[in-house]
Amino acid sequence: MFPRRAALPRPTPFKAFFLAVSFALIAYMLVVIGGLVTYPPLPALIESLLSPEILFAVELSLVTSAVSTAFCVVAAVPVAYSLARFSFPGRGIANTIFNIPLALPPLVAGVALLIFYGPSTFGKMLSEWGLDVIYTPLGIIVAQFFVNLPYMVRVARSGFETINPRYEHVARTLGCTEWGAFRQVTLPLAKSGLIAGLVITWSKSIGEFGAVLMLAGATRMKTETLPIALFLNMSTGDLDLAVAASVILIAISVVSLAVFERYTGGRGVF
Amino acid sequence: MLRIAGLAKRLGDFALDGVDMTVADGEYFVVLGPTGAGKTILLETLAGIYSPDAGTIDLDGRDITRTDPKNRGIGMVYQDYMLFPHLTVGENIGFGLKQGKADPARISESVQETAALLGIGHLLERTTGTLSGGEQQRAAIARALVLQPRVLLLDEPLSALDTVTRERLRRELKAIHRATGTTVVHITHHFEDIFALADRVAVMQDGRIVQTGTPDEVFRRPATEFVAAFTGMENVYCGISRVRDGEAAIDLGEIVVRTVTAIEGDVCVGIRPEEVILSRRPFESSAANTFPGTVTEIRRNGMFSRVVVDAGLPFVAVLTRQSVARLALVEGEPASVTFKASAVHVFKR
Repeated sequence: MFPRRAALPRPTPFKAFFLAVSFALIAYMLVVIGGLVTYPPLPALIESLLSPEILFAVELSLVTSAVSTAFCVVAAVPVAYSLARFSFPGRGIANTIFNIPLALPPLVAGVALLIFYGPSTFGKMLSEWGLDVIYTPLGIIVAQFFVNLPYMVRVARSGFETINPRYEHVARTLGCTEWGAFRQVTLPLAKSGLIAGLVITWSKSIGEFGAVLMLAGATRMKTETLPIALFLNMSTGDLDLAVAASVILIAISVVSLAVFERYTGGRGVF
Repeated sequence: MLRIAGLAKRLGDFALDGVDMTVADGEYFVVLGPTGAGKTILLETLAGIYSPDAGTIDLDGRDITRTDPKNRGIGMVYQDYMLFPHLTVGENIGFGLKQGKADPARISESVQETAALLGIGHLLERTTGTLSGGEQQRAAIARALVLQPRVLLLDEPLSALDTVTRERLRRELKAIHRATGTTVVHITHHFEDIFALADRVAVMQDGRIVQTGTPDEVFRRPATEFVAAFTGMENVYCGISRVRDGEAAIDLGEIVVRTVTAIEGDVCVGIRPEEVILSRRPFESSAANTFPGTVTEIRRNGMFSRVVVDAGLPFVAVLTRQSVARLALVEGEPASVTFKASAVHVFKR
């Protein structure tokens, strides 16, 4: 990081203009978001927050996001490590494929998932085993996992890449198996990167809408996560409940962003 | 005995290209070579981090070419220490013992013993980040030594340290080697390490070993131009240094060389050929060392000539061809060797 120059003591027109733009936009963002939070009167907001529908949405969101994040972490660690450490044929392509969901609109991902788990042979097979993904809470988890895995892979890979492989080499000469070196040396050293990835993945799965809408549908009190609750109540004109869902989502974003910044030390991963 | 035959490994820009070398039990073996010669890959391949493309590694008559690193009994110490930052110094040293089924009391005893040998017994509870470079390197050496490896690999262990610490740790390495009798393969690009430590030296260039021998042999009879150029110290002789009033007289047997150094006792001196001045007759100057002798060899090499003058000891000088012609130097004719006190590089033996 290069040192930054002080802008304030003697601001030139150049510095003043650039700073003015920055602060105007900050004010704009704060007013927009703050306006949403303060729109309903406080008693009404509290009442909405405690309504059965919002409580259901909170619970469903917490459970599905926790499960999908756990799967993301478990799946992303080997992928991220492989991409960070191994050279293998097709490594570049693998990297690109894992990034596809980042660029793909979640709605499209949702439709693809819908077709895969629905009319396809695999979908029918799952359904025969009693695993119904479409229009069920299980579908929420599947959609969140698919869309958010790349974020976890990216953050974890960047975490592994900052660890000198010589730590593992030394551990191997000290009697560790490859598994042992990974567990005793690499994982502890990658801890903060993995926590950062976990938080950002969790926060994104809580907010996931498009893919969830396509795969799990928007059924009140069944597949109603917080974003879905927001959407349903907006479309029925129930503004207080919609705002309540938004307020919770804002709070989650702010907290998880703070945790993420803390564990990555502000170094940009995206 | 560690025997390496035809070892080849390509890894990115670096490559080993048919390395042959044999290290005897208990030997302190130094591999000398410039940066990028493939020295670290050699060590990492010996340790089993990389599997060689060709060739064999044989330890005590056992082929370990494909053996897992954890079963080789080979310890490794890197230049940048690589102490695990999430463990204390004590936990770092005990890391290898913990991998086995040793009981905790035995582990703690061994850790303390080894730490004491390295002079870091008081640092066991500290985190690694609070240690000085020298202390970190000691901890890294202790971590490898505590397992009593058959072979200890040291990858430029002194390069990251300041001069004073390096000098001290170099002496300690020697003492540790003497005390434990461990076979050591030590990589360096400092030729001072050779005189202080090495029983034998291998010079590495472009992924192969170009010369192996005792330090004396390698310096006195460089096998290739490369070795000569890399060591840059063709006029290397060993003797006894006596210091009086800051001035040292170094008795090399045939002649006594004067220089300024604080190092006493058994030493080696080196004088770069380009710092040796030749003349037909001895002349008076500010240079402290002048020895009359006889030209024994003149060899042309591009714009320069290498001239050897026997002045009790053979001195190699590098002159331009014009100088050789102007002085009318001829093999068999007398000539004098002159060099300044500051041209004499002294290292402890």
